[in-house]
Amino acid sequence: MSETRLLFRHVDEPGLAGIDTYRRLGGYRALDKAFGDMEPDEVLTELEESGLRGRGGAGFSMGKKASFLPRGDQEKYLCCNADESEPGTFKDRELMFKNPHQLIEGIAIAALAADASRAFIFIRGEYAEAADVLDRAVAQAYEAGYLGEGVLGTQHRVELVVHRGAGAYICGEETALLDSLEGKRGNPRLKPPFPAIQGLYGGPTLINNVETLSNVPHIVERGAKWFTGFGTEQSPGTKVTSISGCVKRPGNYEIELGIPAREIVYGLAGGPPDGREVKAWFPGGSSAPVLTAEELDLPYSFEAMQEAGSMLGSGAIIIADETVSIPHLALRTARFYHHESCGKCTPCREGTNWTVKMLERVVRGEATPMDLDIISSVQENIIGNCLCVLGDSMAMPVASMVKRFRGEFEAAIEAGRSAAPGPLDDEAGRVPAALEVGA
Amino acid sequence: MKRERNPVTLVVDGVEVTAPEGTMLVDAAKHGDIEIPVFCYEPKLGEPVGACRMCMVEVEGIPKLQTACSTPVRDGMVVYTQTERVQEAQNSVVEFLLVNHPLDCPVCDKGGECPLQDISMGWGPGRSRMRDPKRHFQKPIELSPLIKIDRERCILCYRCVRFSQEVSEDEQLQLLERGDRSFVGTFDDRPYVAPFHGNIVELCPVGALTSQSYRFRARPWEIEDAGSICTLCPSQCNVKFTVRDEHVVRVLARDNHDVDDGWLCDKGRFGYQMINSEDRITEPLVRRGGELRPASWSDAIAAAAKGLRAADCRVAALAGGATSNEEGYLVQRIVRGALGSDDVDCGSRGGPEAATLRRLAEPGLAAAMSDLDGADTVLVLGTDPLHEMPILDLRIRKVVRRLGVTLAVGSERPTSLDGGADAVARFGPGAATGFLRELADAARGDGDGDGEADRIASTLGADSALVIVWGSRLATGPGSQDAAEALLDLASSLRLGEREGSGLIEVPETANGRGLREAGCSPGAGPGLTDAPAGRTAPEIRTALESEDLTAAILANVDPVRDFPDQAGWRSALQKADFLVAISMFENESTAHADVVFPAESHAENEGTVTHPDGRLQRVRPNAPHPGNIRPGWQVLVELSAALDHETGLDSAPEVFEALAAEAPFLASMTYEEIGGTGIRWQTRDAKPSWIEGAGTPSTGTAGAAAERSGEPPPPLGGVRPGEGVPAPSSGDGSSEEPPTPSHGSGLKLGTYRDLWSGEVTERNPSLEFLAPKQRLELAPSDAERLGVEHGQPVSVTSNGHAVEAHVAIRERMKPGAGFLIEGTAENNANLLAGAIEVEVHPAGGAAE
Repeated sequence: MSETRLLFRHVDEPGLAGIDTYRRLGGYRALDKAFGDMEPDEVLTELEESGLRGRGGAGFSMGKKASFLPRGDQEKYLCCNADESEPGTFKDRELMFKNPHQLIEGIAIAALAADASRAFIFIRGEYAEAADVLDRAVAQAYEAGYLGEGVLGTQHRVELVVHRGAGAYICGEETALLDSLEGKRGNPRLKPPFPAIQGLYGGPTLINNVETLSNVPHIVERGAKWFTGFGTEQSPGTKVTSISGCVKRPGNYEIELGIPAREIVYGLAGGPPDGREVKAWFPGGSSAPVLTAEELDLPYSFEAMQEAGSMLGSGAIIIADETVSIPHLALRTARFYHHESCGKCTPCREGTNWTVKMLERVVRGEATPMDLDIISSVQENIIGNCLCVLGDSMAMPVASMVKRFRGEFEAAIEAGRSAAPGPLDDEAGRVPAALEVGA
Repeated sequence: MKRERNPVTLVVDGVEVTAPEGTMLVDAAKHGDIEIPVFCYEPKLGEPVGACRMCMVEVEGIPKLQTACSTPVRDGMVVYTQTERVQEAQNSVVEFLLVNHPLDCPVCDKGGECPLQDISMGWGPGRSRMRDPKRHFQKPIELSPLIKIDRERCILCYRCVRFSQEVSEDEQLQLLERGDRSFVGTFDDRPYVAPFHGNIVELCPVGALTSQSYRFRARPWEIEDAGSICTLCPSQCNVKFTVRDEHVVRVLARDNHDVDDGWLCDKGRFGYQMINSEDRITEPLVRRGGELRPASWSDAIAAAAKGLRAADCRVAALAGGATSNEEGYLVQRIVRGALGSDDVDCGSRGGPEAATLRRLAEPGLAAAMSDLDGADTVLVLGTDPLHEMPILDLRIRKVVRRLGVTLAVGSERPTSLDGGADAVARFGPGAATGFLRELADAARGDGDGDGEADRIASTLGADSALVIVWGSRLATGPGSQDAAEALLDLASSLRLGEREGSGLIEVPETANGRGLREAGCSPGAGPGLTDAPAGRTAPEIRTALESEDLTAAILANVDPVRDFPDQAGWRSALQKADFLVAISMFENESTAHADVVFPAESHAENEGTVTHPDGRLQRVRPNAPHPGNIRPGWQVLVELSAALDHETGLDSAPEVFEALAAEAPFLASMTYEEIGGTGIRWQTRDAKPSWIEGAGTPSTGTAGAAAERSGEPPPPLGGVRPGEGVPAPSSGDGSSEEPPTPSHGSGLKLGTYRDLWSGEVTERNPSLEFLAPKQRLELAPSDAERLGVEHGQPVSVTSNGHAVEAHVAIRERMKPGAGFLIEGTAENNANLLAGAIEVEVHPAGGAAE
C-alpha cells in the first residue's frame, strides 16, 4: 500500500536478529564496502549528500553533524541514542528487537566516517528484551570481525558497548545521555560546548538515533543519490512512524516522507473506530503541538509539519478522536513531563508542576477563567527559557491544546463552577484507556 | 602557565565595556555598572552551570535569550539586559522560584541578607499568581551536627552540591530524586561530616542551609561586622566577625583571593563560641597562698616584674599560638632588653640557625599563594595541609582539578592529597633529610633511576613553574640544620629561584609562626631575622629549667605541657621554675604552674598584625570589646617592660609596629595603612635586599630606639657587636642519618602529627566538641599483622615508662615500620611519647570495643 520498506524490508523474516540470516539477506555488504573500498571522508561525504536528517526528534542533518567532529589523534566517540522515551514512539524498539545487525552495521560505518573508535548504545533500561537481543548481536558481530581492534582486518578500531539506562526520559537528551553514560546524574549540560567538540569524557562525540544509524548501511551500499530518490527534497528517505491512540491498527509503519498524513492515519492504521472522527492529532510524539483533522492532508515531512506550527519530531503519531476530552489529554501530557523533568532548571522544574496543578483543577472543575490565561502565560514563560527542550516539550503541546480547543477548557471550568461540589476523587479526571500512558 | 587575556570590547545596554577575553557576561557587565541577577553562578565553584536561568539576557543575533553567566564576551557583542523581553523572563523565573518556595521570611535566618528576597524585589513581578498547594519536605532536619537543612526553601541552585563534589571533594552531598521532588542530601541521610562543609551556609542563596549555632540569634539589621583575620591556624583566612550586642555570634569569609579564595574551614567558622566562654580568664591572676587569685592590673604587673627581676637574667620566653607580631616583638624586647637574656623561642623543637633562616626567607625563593594558581607543578613535602593549613588543601585541589596542575607528595604519613597526586613518596619518621637529599640527586639526574624520589623528580620539570609547599616540621629538632640545608640544596638543584612563578611556601606549626620568627622570637635571630646573640631553643629551655640554669619563664599564648614534645618533661620543668608568667585565654596545665597569669585577647579583640606563611602582613582588627578586665596584649607587655625599668615609649599598636618595622629592614616604613584590608607581602616592597647583610641589631630599649631615630648606630648589646655574634648552634648532634634501626621490641618507629581537631579550640567550642579525636595509632597493614592487632582494637603504646592508650587505625598507604599518634589530644597525648624513637605496642587490657 503506502508503505515503503527500506529499514523494514526484511523485518518479518524469522531469525533476522541472527547474523547468519542477516548476512544471507545482504547484510554487512555495506560495511565491507565502507571499510574495504572507501576512505572515511568518502563515507562522510556520502552521508552528507544523502541529506539524511536525524530521526530521533531534532531532524538535524546527520552528515553535517558528523562532519563537526574535529580530526586528530584524540579519542572520539559515537553514541547511539536508543533511549526512546518520547510518548507514542516505539519504532526503535522494533528496529533493535528485530534487526539489531542493521543498527550495528550502521554504527560501525558511522564510526568510520567520524573517526570514532569507541561506540555506545544507550538503550533505555525498560527495553530489557531488546537489550538482550542487542547484546547477543554485538557478540556475534565481534566474532565475525565487524567490531573490535581492527575491523575486517583494517587498522580501524570500533569498540561497541551496550549500556542500559535507568528510567529517565531526560536521558534521551543528548548531553544528559552523556552525563548518565559517564555515571553521573542524567542532567543536561550547557551548550555550547556541543558534544561534537566536547562530549563524552570531554572528547568529540557523535550522537545519533537508532533509526538514523539504521539508514546508514543502505545509503552507503546504494549511494546518496539513490536515497534522495525517496521522500522530498528537504526530507529525503523514509520514516518509520509509530501510530497509536484512537486508531484501528496501531503499530509501526515505514513510509516515504512527504506522503499525506491521511494516508498513514487512515490508509495504513485504519483511522479511528467506525463512526468516529479525528479531533486532534500529535504528528511527532507528545512533544509536538497538536494539529486538527484539516491538517491531515498535509504532507508528512519535516518542513510541512514545521510550517503548520508543529514538528515531525520522532515520527510518532498519536490520534485523539471526539471521545477524548482535550483538558484530560493536556493534563495527561503535562503529568508526563512533570514526572520526567530532571529539576535542574527553574522554568521546567517549577513550570511543569504548576501546570499540572492548574490542569488538575480544570479537570476537577475547581478552576476559574483566569487560570486558563495563567496556564497559557506559564507555557510562554517556559518556552525558550530552559536549559534543554524538555520544558518546551510540555509547554508547546499544552499551549497548542489550550489555544485550539479553548472552548473545551472553558466548558470544563464552567461545568465545575455551576456543578454542586462533588467528591474529590479521580472519577472526574479519568482519561479514556486509549490515552493512558504508563505512569 | 599564565595565559595572556586580550581585552575585548562589547556594548551592554548602550554602554561600552571592556573586559579580558574569557570573562563571562555577568562579570563583564559589572565593569559597566550593570547588575545581572544570578543564583547558581558562583565563580569560586568553577565552571558555570546555567541552571537557575535568572541571568538570561538578550544578545543581538541570537534568537533565544542567553544565560549571561555562561556566555563569554566577544568583540563587538551587543547585549541588552533591560528590554521588556528580558524583564518578562526575569519576572517569570522569580515567579517560578516562588511557586514552591515557602513564605518563611518571618522565621528564616536569611531574611534581610537574602539574595532571593533582594532579587524578588529587584527583578520579580511583585505578585505571584500561584495559588495551589506547595510541595513539602520534613523540615528542618540536621544535615550535620553544625548545619540544618530546610529542603522546602531550597531553590536547587546546586551550589552546595558542587562545593562538596568539586571544591572540598568530600563528595558527601548529592542531589536525590528529580524534578520538583529533587532534594539535597547525603547517602542514606548520614550526617555530613567534613572539615569545610560550613562554607555551604554562606554559599546558599536562601535560608535552606543554616548554621545551628547561629540560628535565631540575630537579624541582619542588628548586627555589625568589621574585617579581621582568623588566627586559629597558619591559613590566616580573612574573616568578618558578626557582632551583636558586643558579642561575636558568627564568622563569615571575607574573600581574599590571595589568601583564602573565599573559603573558611569549620574550625575558623565555628570556633568563635570560645570567645564568649564563661571559662575565659577575664582578669589578671596572681598566685597567693598557693592559689591563683584575681588581682588588679597594677598588682599583677608589679608582681610579674618583681618575680622576673628576681631571676637575674636566668629567664626565657616562649611565644606561640596567635601571638601577634607586635606582641612577639615586645616579648623578645623584654627578654633581650629588659631581662638581659637571649633565650626566646617561638617554636617547640628548635630549628636552623639565623643565617639559614634568612636563606629560606629569601624573596627570590618565596612563592605566594596566588603562585599556586599559575604553577605547572606543586610539590608537597612533609605536611598534610588538610590538618595543618586547611585552606591550602582546598587551593591545591582547585589547581589540580581546574587548572590541570601536576601534584607530587612526599610525606611521612598518607595525606588527603595523595589521591590527586601523580607521584607519592613516603619516608620514615626522622628520615626527611635523607629523602630531600635523594630528591635533590634525582633532580640533578644522579638518582637511582626508579625509586620514589625519582618518580617525584620526574614530575617537577626543568623550567616550568614549580611551587614547593613544605612543612616547617621538616626542619625542626636535632638535625634541623641539615634538613634545612638539604631543602635549600633541593631548591638550588631545581633552580627554583630562576624559574618564573616558582618558590617555596612554608607551613609553620603555629598560626603566626612566620610572623613571630620575623619579629625576633627565635634564639639567635632578632627582628627581621637579623643576627642576635645565640640563645636557647625551646627544648633547651626545658632542660635548663629542669637543671635550674633557668629559673623563670614567660609563656605567651603557649601551653608547652599540651603542645610541646615531652609532656612529662615540661610538667616537671614548669614545676621546677621559680617564677612563671603566662598569658593565656584559658587556664590549662601550663598556667597551673604560673605565678602570674595575664588574660589574653581572643582573635576578635586583638589589634595588631600577623604574617601569613607566604610573607603577607595582615591586620588583625578588634571587632568586639574585651570581656571583663582584659587589656590589649601589646599594652600589657609595654607596661610590663616599663615595670622592668625598660620604658618603650610606645603608646599604641601602630607605634609598636613602627618600632618593629624600624628594626626589621624588610619591613622598613611599612604602616597599617599600607597593609590595609587585604595585606601586603613584604617581598613585593622595595625594602627587601638590605636585611641579608645583617643590618640592624636586637632591641636595646629606649637608647637603641632613640639612636635609631637619630640615625646613629645603636650601642652594642652586652658587648656583642653586629656580625660578631656567635651563630646559634645547630640543635642536636647534627646527625641527619636515619635513626639507628632499633634492635629490639616492636620495631615500630614513632611518628606524631597534629590533627586538625586535636586542641583546645575544639574543646572550648561546644558545637565542635563532637569532632575531638580519640587517640589512634595509625599502622600499615603489614605492621598490624606482625603485631597481631586489628583495626579498632585498643592498644597501649609505650616507651621509657610512658604509656598512651589508643585505638588501632589501619591505613593502606602507610610505609611499614612506623606508627603515628596524634599530638595535642586532651588525653593520651602523643606528646607524652614524643622524643621517643621507637615504641612498643601492647593490646590493652579488656575486650576490644
